[in-house]
Amino acid sequence: MLEVADRPTSHDDVSTTNSGKGTIALNAVNHWVPHDIVMRDTWFPVAHNYSVTGKPVRRAVYSHPIFLWRENGVVVASENHPNEKVVGEKSQYTDARGRYPVMEHYGVVWVWFGNPLAADPVHLPSLPFLPPKGGLPRHMTSTVRFECAAPISLENLIDLTHADFLHADVVGDERSDSETVETFFDSETVTMVRTCTNKSVAPVMKFFSGIKQPTQNVRQVIRIYLRSHCAIAYGRFTPGDDVPLFHPCTPETRDRTRMEMVMNTTNSDLLFRHVMPKAGYKVSRQDSYMTSPQSPRYMRDTDRKDLHSKFDQAGQRYRMAMMELADRQAKGDFAYRDNVSADCSEIIGLRKELFQF
Amino acid sequence: MSLNQDAWWAVARSEEVTSEKPLSVDIGDQPVVLWRDNQGIARAMEDRCPHRRAPLSLGCVRDNGWIQCGYHGWSFDGETGRLKEIPNMKDQQRFPPVYKANAFGVTEQAGLVRVCLNPNVAAPLVAARRYDYCGTANVSLTHREYLNALYDDPSLLFSIRGVHFTSYLMAELHEEDGKLVMERSCQWAGMHWPAHFVAEFPLTLLTKTDPVTGETELLLRDDEFRSLFHAVLAPVPSARGVTAVRWRASQGARYPGLRGALLRGINPLTVFSSVNGTKLRTTKPSVSMNGEDLREAIMEGAQPSPGQTAAA
Ligand code: FES
Ligand SMILES: [Fe+2]
Repeated sequence: MLEVADRPTSHDDVSTTNSGKGTIALNAVNHWVPHDIVMRDTWFPVAHNYSVTGKPVRRAVYSHPIFLWRENGVVVASENHPNEKVVGEKSQYTDARGRYPVMEHYGVVWVWFGNPLAADPVHLPSLPFLPPKGGLPRHMTSTVRFECAAPISLENLIDLTHADFLHADVVGDERSDSETVETFFDSETVTMVRTCTNKSVAPVMKFFSGIKQPTQNVRQVIRIYLRSHCAIAYGRFTPGDDVPLFHPCTPETRDRTRMEMVMNTTNSDLLFRHVMPKAGYKVSRQDSYMTSPQSPRYMRDTDRKDLHSKFDQAGQRYRMAMMELADRQAKGDFAYRDNVSADCSEIIGLRKELFQF
Repeated sequence: MSLNQDAWWAVARSEEVTSEKPLSVDIGDQPVVLWRDNQGIARAMEDRCPHRRAPLSLGCVRDNGWIQCGYHGWSFDGETGRLKEIPNMKDQQRFPPVYKANAFGVTEQAGLVRVCLNPNVAAPLVAARRYDYCGTANVSLTHREYLNALYDDPSLLFSIRGVHFTSYLMAELHEEDGKLVMERSCQWAGMHWPAHFVAEFPLTLLTKTDPVTGETELLLRDDEFRSLFHAVLAPVPSARGVTAVRWRASQGARYPGLRGALLRGINPLTVFSSVNGTKLRTTKPSVSMNGEDLREAIMEGAQPSPGQTAAA
């Protein structure tokens, strides 16, 4: 049960993982201390673009203060409040004026955390179901906070067996005729694809989308961008809806997470379109009920191994990939070996025709 | 605090342990989950799911008596701690032996559920008793401080309606049958001479404390040696230096008149959930000064009881 049976995204690229020496061994997943992992040289999503106006709002990445406001309509991200008398030392993550590289894309404000000179839009995660210029109605967005380390939130997301149980009242229970889980990864991403045939229909679709059948075929994809802690959760339900969700977990501190969520339900019926994004509130409280007490129990390394089931392979792979990347960063290597902005539509199986911008 | 792994801690009252909802308690910094299985047997396990460390007390008790984690739904058998079922793998009947949570020893007697962190220690025998009243109080005092306060001035920790605890002792803390025993003179509350001018006291409070767990029997007696009121107070070291106190009490002989009536009526014992810090700080350590030495002496000299040899 402890085995991980997954494979790299590209089969010819075996050099980076699995076999090479100096890589993280499988047993390392049992020494997972997510609070010790600090990722840099990445874009973190910190705000929905409509939240940033003339009046500064405060955000944080790993406890570093970030103030956001607009000057002539252009977003500014500064480590100091404009009213602050600057006395302390300037951080290494900002320019001479104390400003972070910042950009707007997908309707979200992104701040570059790392070497400011390395900031490049090419490192922005691909989110092909969101209009690049933003503009989705606000009811498809929300802000949710978690009292846990960001990687704990992401581990929660990539392990979908918890959903059948913890969120059964929203997404339906675990009963299905067959279930497969596949994991793909490269040095910057981990993607999990779960397919279930004839799975109990999601109550939320039964009630708000009018699905009459008792079961539906489900294909769920979770794709995590390791550095930026951004995730895509994309469910295709037949019969039913296509529900792509942008699920970022920005580490405001090492044990508190902020999620600027965007769910594109443009293709659904009116009712579902409005209800589904709100289901996030309920689902996130259910998750939080477990991840809040869980998080402190991962703050210190312990000799006691977690137990895993065969459905945890994606989660284990996520732990290993994060530890590998953290390990490289600890050695001063911040280079990207894989391109995170390359269109991932194919990987996540996006029905492109539904998402034309 | 290094906890005695072989001690039986009274972590819950019987009625608190149900099949409706698991109960979360602590023994020192060890979180423990308690529930009652389908045969009515109280079960105790580490309150930590071995899968992803979620507290099992947030889960539920299944009809077959297993406890089910609320996160991914793994089910465990309370007697052995072994994993019995994973929701998405229902066809899998058996899991390797390492797939288990820590199960602890449990015994339930005289209305209290006692847990021992070492599953190999035999349970003690406790005399069955009738109890009229019970309660739970969580006090932000460490276990040792709680007992020291009990020795030096019990009015810091509880009150018995109509009774005033004086500072005069009939017997200082001493050993009797392996217990720490002392007896304090008491007065009926209300108008009377200050204790230091009183020749005869009408009441005494006898306390017998277990040197390991601090579980204490209280006995209120009058000057004719009648037992008027009896209680068991079980302080258990809990998270963040809190002491969780479960207690049970019963009426004894009928004392005549208004005073007796006051003592009977509704529950006369109040166990406080908070201590008065000002009073506590200025309470001079007297009895407690010797308490710790005596306690250690008893424990060193203690012959292990037959049940405890197994663990030694
Ligand atoms: S944490 Fe308990 S079942 Fe997963
Ligand atoms: Fe969830």
